[in-house]
Amino acid sequence: MLTAIKKLAFRKFKESETKLHELNYLFWECTTRCNQNCLHCGSDCLKDSTANDMPLEDFLSALDTIKKPPKNFIVVLTGGEPLLRPDIELCGREIRKRGMRWSLVTNGLLYDKEKHNSLLNSGLGALTISLDGMEDSHNWLRNSKNSFKKVDNAIGIAASSARLNFDVVTCVNKRNIAELPQIRNFLIQKGVKAWRLFTIVPIGRAKDNPDLLLTKKQFKELMDFISECRKESGISVQFSCEGYVGEYEAKVRDSFFFCRVGINIGSILIDGSISACPNIDRSFAQGNIYKDNFYDIWENKYELFRNRSWTKTGKCANCADYKDCQGNGLHNWHGEILVFHNELLKVES
Amino acid sequence: MNRKWIKTIIGGLSFATAVFVFQACYGTPQDFGDDYLIEGQVKSKTTDLPIKGIKVSVADNLQYQMTDTEGRFSFYTDMKDNIKVMFQDIDSTLNGQYLAKDTVLSTIQQTGFLDIKLDDK
Repeated sequence: MLTAIKKLAFRKFKESETKLHELNYLFWECTTRCNQNCLHCGSDCLKDSTANDMPLEDFLSALDTIKKPPKNFIVVLTGGEPLLRPDIELCGREIRKRGMRWSLVTNGLLYDKEKHNSLLNSGLGALTISLDGMEDSHNWLRNSKNSFKKVDNAIGIAASSARLNFDVVTCVNKRNIAELPQIRNFLIQKGVKAWRLFTIVPIGRAKDNPDLLLTKKQFKELMDFISECRKESGISVQFSCEGYVGEYEAKVRDSFFFCRVGINIGSILIDGSISACPNIDRSFAQGNIYKDNFYDIWENKYELFRNRSWTKTGKCANCADYKDCQGNGLHNWHGEILVFHNELLKVES
Repeated sequence: MNRKWIKTIIGGLSFATAVFVFQACYGTPQDFGDDYLIEGQVKSKTTDLPIKGIKVSVADNLQYQMTDTEGRFSFYTDMKDNIKVMFQDIDSTLNGQYLAKDTVLSTIQQTGFLDIKLDDK
């Protein structure tokens, strides 16, 4: 009964949030260069990307169209590997000069004490580092034999900062699922306070590698693992917001599923495209900063994000959970929906 | 009624304080921390010329910055009512030799800009 009331209230909350569509979270794909060649990369980045890094002034021109950013507005620098940009600190300072916050997602390879210091000096407030297993499985997925040692060091440095709102993310796959308890203990020992777990969506390089994808049984094991971890202290463990997980909704996250792309989350991609999460299909772009006013686009377009009725098709058309799922996370849509998380939980026992 | 009030009321009814604190799938957590921008310039008390290479740091914090050729520094640090800022000459005779100095910045009463004069050693 209580869960039903909560769900009903949450549906109303989502409707209200959608009508308000306050831009709280802006990704900036500031580079597509990368210093790794991960097996699961969703953006299909290259070490020698043909795309140049977006000039800071181009991004700032778009950012300056936001005249009154909400108090909790944040710019999230992503890539590629954002630390490859030599002007990353300047980027951060220019964002802070405008009264906005900034954060970044990194693979940790270039995150040493000196970089930590210079980023904090530039007003970095939040950070996410990827760790995809203990040494062998992390290095396998990252396609690099030295990656684990570097990320281990980076995690220790980041976790030592009281200022940073810091978490670690792990892409769960066939090779690392058995070592999740070990990873949890490792992170607790490093002083990490928050850990988010993902599965791998078959996009980018991952689409050609079925070994990266969990079986239905393994996906349920993952939900059970997260659910059990959340009963214990030591580290906050969550399933990412990648998809709706039915009966596990109240057990694996702090809040019910809500795909906020285009509602609270926007992005500016490497070619100037105005979109939402960088991992959604590029055809969802709503405009381009090189010809459109960014904030006008945010305010007046994004219809397909704010009215998801177009997703009520195929398996979703008659699904009993549609009101809570609304077509799952939009990054699962690439021409058709690629992953039904809830269905993964219903079939195999 | 203002939509923001509706958002607050309905969000509260869903009993999940986390509804207002979200992060995108492939993004970072949000940043609700307080910090403070400390800026300034370090000069010689004797010559009034800027000093390069002075280490500027905050007590109980590993962060630091070195002054540039104009003697300037600028960095964000954890917000506290009073911040003890320390100035140290750590490059031996390079750029001259100066005595260390500490100053306490009241973030309630002062702006973050500090004009610092160091005595010759």
